Amino acid sequence: MRQRDDWHLTDVLEYEHGRGDPFAAAVRATRMPMVITDPAQPDNPIVFCNVAFQRLTGYDREEIIGRNCRFLQGPDTDPAKIAEIREAVRDGHAVDVDLLNYRKDGTTFWNALYLSPVRDADGVVRFFFASQFDVTERVEAQNIINDQKLLVEREVERRTADLRAALEAKTLLLHEVDHRVKNNLTMIGSLLRLQVRTIDDPSIAAKLDSMLERVDALAVVHRQLYQSSDIARFDIGSFAENLISDVVGSSGRGDIDLDIKAQPLFVDAANASALGLILNEILTNAVKHAFADGRSGSLSLLVEGEEDHGIIKICDDGPGMPSSQRSRSIGTSLITRLARQANAEATWRDAKPGTCVTITFPKTEMRS
Amino acid sequence: MTRTMDVLVVEDEMLLAMDIEAMIEDSGHRVLAEAASLQDVQALPDDLNPQLAFVDLHLAHNSTGFEVCSYIRQHWPDTLIIFVTANVSKIPADFSGAHGVIAKPFSHAGVVNAIKYLADGAFDPPPSIPRPASLVASPHLKTRWG
Ligand SMILES: Nc1ncnc2c1ncn2[C@@H]1O[C@H](COP(=O)(O)OP(=O)(O)OP(=O)(O)O)[C@@H](O)[C@H]1O
Ligand SMILES: [Mg+2]
Repeated sequence: MRQRDDWHLTDVLEYEHGRGDPFAAAVRATRMPMVITDPAQPDNPIVFCNVAFQRLTGYDREEIIGRNCRFLQGPDTDPAKIAEIREAVRDGHAVDVDLLNYRKDGTTFWNALYLSPVRDADGVVRFFFASQFDVTERVEAQNIINDQKLLVEREVERRTADLRAALEAKTLLLHEVDHRVKNNLTMIGSLLRLQVRTIDDPSIAAKLDSMLERVDALAVVHRQLYQSSDIARFDIGSFAENLISDVVGSSGRGDIDLDIKAQPLFVDAANASALGLILNEILTNAVKHAFADGRSGSLSLLVEGEEDHGIIKICDDGPGMPSSQRSRSIGTSLITRLARQANAEATWRDAKPGTCVTITFPKTEMRS
Repeated sequence: MTRTMDVLVVEDEMLLAMDIEAMIEDSGHRVLAEAASLQDVQALPDDLNPQLAFVDLHLAHNSTGFEVCSYIRQHWPDTLIIFVTANVSKIPADFSGAHGVIAKPFSHAGVVNAIKYLADGAFDPPPSIPRPASLVASPHLKTRWG
């Protein structure tokens, strides 16, 4: 079989006599740089190189033949890769490595080296066949990509650190502002209280007391907000329950019975102050007007949550609202105006006996 | 009828000290002494017998309410110690041995109700009235009053 013979011819390539061999001619003429080495000779010298190889390395044939391939190595060639090749030659197997090689003029190129043993019919390694390929562009492109990746990673890291620092600074600032608000609210309350004690005119003192109660209500709203883990929403249900106990408790009116049916009910934190003030007005009105002149009675608080809105209902069993109201007070108009601001609605009902005030307001959706 | 308590006020913000003292007196109790720092408290005579101490956490001369708290516990072990602070989160779980905390900004109603509750418990424990929301009780108060 001719084909099979031809194959054998290449297999035992006679470098001196290969000129007439079409396979040898192909190897000589290919654009792929190739060498063949002879492991039977000392130091496994190159016994054949093609023109492409000479062109790649810049050496003439005479400078190449008879030398070991290591003459292409230089100071920046990776020793680990060299060891890999040495091992393959010693064990007689193929190896595929990217290696930094040096040309005659000292310039470097990345060499994709593929080295494979060529065995004879008895399995003895007769030659090593090495194809080379200049992959400088690919390796350098890869290096650039790696460098840029590193740069980008560093940049991302730096920016993340910046952002983290900014967040920390902001949190610190928020705490500081929060602290100042607390201190100022506390001081405003204390100042007003100290002033009230010096006023002899009972009607002025009463007005100042109302102011004080409003400031206190705001203080309690703020305190509940900063003590809650969720700064976006406010539990108006618990607030109402605490406020009614506080207001009635501190009025010293042990003769007012409390009937409380409350539950946690969350509203948007933006509406906390408005709704807190509204509740304060309704409750202080009840204590002042429904149980005036020491009249005893009962006061009820009902907190209910519907699908999308909440209801707070405060009822007393006092004399009921007078039909015509004087206009010098601000309580009722505070309630109506603040209700509008908080998207809420306040309605008064004559409960016969007594007064029922109902506020209906939007809930916030539950979050974790 | 509750008896009169002798109360110690430890607060470095004079405005707040004046206000708290006024609320104590309006509630029918006596302000035994006022102090703005640990040093002020240490300078008080040992034979005082306060039933209650309101103690701010941040005090003058770089002293803290925790230091004052441990001084009070050594010298007047029966005193009820209530922190009054805007930094509730800085208080450890065991309250450093104190009995409760009132958060700033406090309301008149909140403080007055707390005083009423504490006075009720101080002389005839446990208190007969419910604890107001403005006063957060520590584990020590709960064990003390069962
Ligand atoms: N629950 C109630 N029972 C009986 N009368 C009430 C009740 N709530 C309000 N009123 C009457 O309505 C009036 C208006 O109340 P409003 O809160 O506006 O004023 P005020 O309480 O007198 O003064 P302020 O401006 O301090 O609130 C009161 O003066 C009182 O006569
Ligand atoms: Mg009113």
